[in-house]
Amino acid sequence: MDPAPTSSGKATASSSTGTPVAAAAAGIPTEFPAGLRVLLVDDDATCLKIIDMMLRKCHYDVTTCSCAATALSMLRKRKGWFDLVLSDVYMPDMDGFKLLERIGLEMDLPVIMMSSDDHKDVVMKGVTHGAVDYLIKPVRIEPLKNIWQHVVRKKRFELRELEHSGSLEESEREDERHKRAMEEGDNATSGCAEHSKNIKRKKEAKEEDEQDVDEQADPSQTKKPRVVWSSELHQQFVTAVNQLGIDKAVPKKILELMKVAGLTRENVASHLQKYRLYLRRLSVPQHQDRLDGHFTSAQEATFRSVGTVDGFDLQALAVSGQLLPQNLSALSSGSRRVTNTGLRMPVFDEMGFLNSGNASCTSPASVQQMNRGLSYFSGYSNSSDSRQLGQSHQLVEPYGNMCLQVGEEISGLLNLPSPQTTRSSLPGGISNEQVNRSLIMQMSQQGPQFSLSQQHENFHGQPFPRGQIFNVIGGHDSRLSSKFGHQMSPNDISSHISGRTANIAQTPLPGNQISASYSSVPQALYANNIHDSCLTESAASHYPLASSIGDTPATGNLEALSNTSSLKGVTDLSNCNMYSELRQNKTQDWKLETVTISYQSGQNLAPKQNKADFGSSLLANQDSIAAVQDESSGNTCTVRKENLSVTTEIEDDKIERVAQCNSTINSIRLKSESMPDIKHQEVLYDNIISNDLMDVGKQQQEGIIGQDDPEFFDAYSLENISM
Amino acid sequence: MALASHRHISSCLCSIHSSLCYSTRPEMERSSLQRQLANLKKSLFDQGNLDEQFDQLEELQDDASPNFVEEVVTLFFRDSSRLVANIEQAIEKSPRDYGSLDALVHQLKDSASSIGAAKMMKECTVFREYCDKRNLEGCLRSFQKVKKEHSTLRLKLENYFQLLRQVGPAEKATRSGN
Repeated sequence: MDPAPTSSGKATASSSTGTPVAAAAAGIPTEFPAGLRVLLVDDDATCLKIIDMMLRKCHYDVTTCSCAATALSMLRKRKGWFDLVLSDVYMPDMDGFKLLERIGLEMDLPVIMMSSDDHKDVVMKGVTHGAVDYLIKPVRIEPLKNIWQHVVRKKRFELRELEHSGSLEESEREDERHKRAMEEGDNATSGCAEHSKNIKRKKEAKEEDEQDVDEQADPSQTKKPRVVWSSELHQQFVTAVNQLGIDKAVPKKILELMKVAGLTRENVASHLQKYRLYLRRLSVPQHQDRLDGHFTSAQEATFRSVGTVDGFDLQALAVSGQLLPQNLSALSSGSRRVTNTGLRMPVFDEMGFLNSGNASCTSPASVQQMNRGLSYFSGYSNSSDSRQLGQSHQLVEPYGNMCLQVGEEISGLLNLPSPQTTRSSLPGGISNEQVNRSLIMQMSQQGPQFSLSQQHENFHGQPFPRGQIFNVIGGHDSRLSSKFGHQMSPNDISSHISGRTANIAQTPLPGNQISASYSSVPQALYANNIHDSCLTESAASHYPLASSIGDTPATGNLEALSNTSSLKGVTDLSNCNMYSELRQNKTQDWKLETVTISYQSGQNLAPKQNKADFGSSLLANQDSIAAVQDESSGNTCTVRKENLSVTTEIEDDKIERVAQCNSTINSIRLKSESMPDIKHQEVLYDNIISNDLMDVGKQQQEGIIGQDDPEFFDAYSLENISM
Repeated sequence: MALASHRHISSCLCSIHSSLCYSTRPEMERSSLQRQLANLKKSLFDQGNLDEQFDQLEELQDDASPNFVEEVVTLFFRDSSRLVANIEQAIEKSPRDYGSLDALVHQLKDSASSIGAAKMMKECTVFREYCDKRNLEGCLRSFQKVKKEHSTLRLKLENYFQLLRQVGPAEKATRSGN
């Protein structure tokens, strides 16, 4: 039968419908829905052949694929080429639902799921993941004859949105174009794709050149080509959403906040819809993993707060380039996570300062504060400099060291075994203990957030165990998670980082983990040994890694971290630098959620087990986190993958970063400039993972992701790579 | 069923007619083959080995792909035999790993459903249920049934296609002739 990605349908169908004339000559209908470009994904060769035949009988243009990874890459390579995707649910290389999510987010194509499983919960899963339909196998030809309706419906929806925001004139023009497209009959989809989003595809067709002209003449708003949600764009989106508050975020306001030229309200609306689905999905499993539900509530609180309460929109800051990438990750993770995990490392006193009352830390001052705070710990005088993204590098380095030391100190403070790293002195000269204490104090004020910390017995009965600190940090968006990053002992940091985004907020380690800043911070603190214990407790979401960090020497941590999914780089605390990744992730919320989940799973997994896996994964993608949950054994893997993908997605920046990380494990090169869009996870465990891993990841990234638009949630890209 | 009997009758008439008018051996043989074919198909349906999905497949067959059904069925048995072997292996090596066992059976079920192998599908469903309940005994029992049905179906369908090949071209001729 057809080898993996083949265009079996294309060979025959497309040739016959290559041109309207030829098609007509062959007696094949030329008007829509004939020629509908369908991508069929099914690992079973028999099903594939049968459904392929059925689709061709419907005069569709079919491309078959027996591997989900290949399907994804095909979709990416030929963006805009396909109109509809039909996918099996149970596939060996990738869960059909994940594929569904991916496609929905990256390509915004309608996806129909198929399976012989007709249980209500499975069908429901399809619905919640955004499938436009669910067919029960054995599939008959009748329902296949109608699948074109989903394409039309989607286009109509977009058109309606267009009309709302655009002018009537445009919609009329769209109608004309639509009619024209219909008549041509060549691109059935174009007929339904008057929407600007299909402009790209239209451009491919000659007969649509004039349409393009028309579109260009129109206000850029409505005539934009299909919107691709790059990581930066998504980051901005998430920032805006957080600012408004996930509940109050409306497309119009988000659009205003984003201030992205050419983005339409409907683009934002559909993206918001997906995002909400995504969050909802994440929030469910997360809670399960939460230790005492504290995290959960904390997280939620964090979410809210992240975007609104504390007003410190780290992401916005990051985006604006004010905030050092690492700080951002640290902060975001810190702020978010704090609430959740409460484990935040008390390290950053400053963080608290920064965050307190900092409603919107978009102000340079606050950023500066944060940066300063960060540098405070590290004792770097160049903190102010580091404030600039560009300077993150410098900052990173010191922080990295600091982190290590801090971590150690902190662990000491927390009575945790000192991190495996043998850093002995805190460069900054700040005794972690002191710092921690102060932080703790601050944290204690946080109240609810501490729950986590309290939970951890490991904390040595400190009232504010990390959690508090984290709370402080996490509580405020502006918290410099990065601050924590420094402070946290490398172990911690790494754990933070690994802790993934969810808890990562904490790990801001500027260089190190930033991305992990989420809850991972708390974990990081515990990294040394606690993390194991802590992980379970605090991590609820992210720490798993953290714990691992502390315990075992780099490798151990990394593994643990990696397992937790977010912490990939944790293995080597000294590599705290790794976290430079900053948590760009789109929304801290996401990260939090994902992290939490992942951590849980990670924790369960033998910390050391996935060392290798994690190495490559840089960021704990949210997806990965989700994936992690799915299967315990797969946790690490998924996580890893996502991270990789995340990092890779970030594109050059990340890759660069990764490269850097690899080269200097100890120095977290935060690419401050590039606020990497930590797509999912803030935690970028670049450094954490061993160089090898990083290299692999990097290679993978470059190979797989590089070519396409940054895709967030590209958890699968890694998988593809590895496959 | 009606069709089969109708064909039967018509083939009988045809054979009578033929016999009256210099019926030729081949025709008689053909009609008897056709009868056999019809009977075989009927029994497959009656006994539940196949369901209407199989008819769907036959409808898909056309001049452009004249052997579509046979190709699909061949493909099915190639993959399903492998799956059955995998399941067997899984049961031997890690019988308690219900998760992966379930996944394998699910694959088999999906495949079977696509060609309309009704009985196999049912047995697979039962198998999966036992997996859910983590009932090893039940799993083993239902797996035996799955294997049995798999080989039965294979045999029957091999016969079917053999007959079809023999009757096929002639069938068309007789159809047009009649």
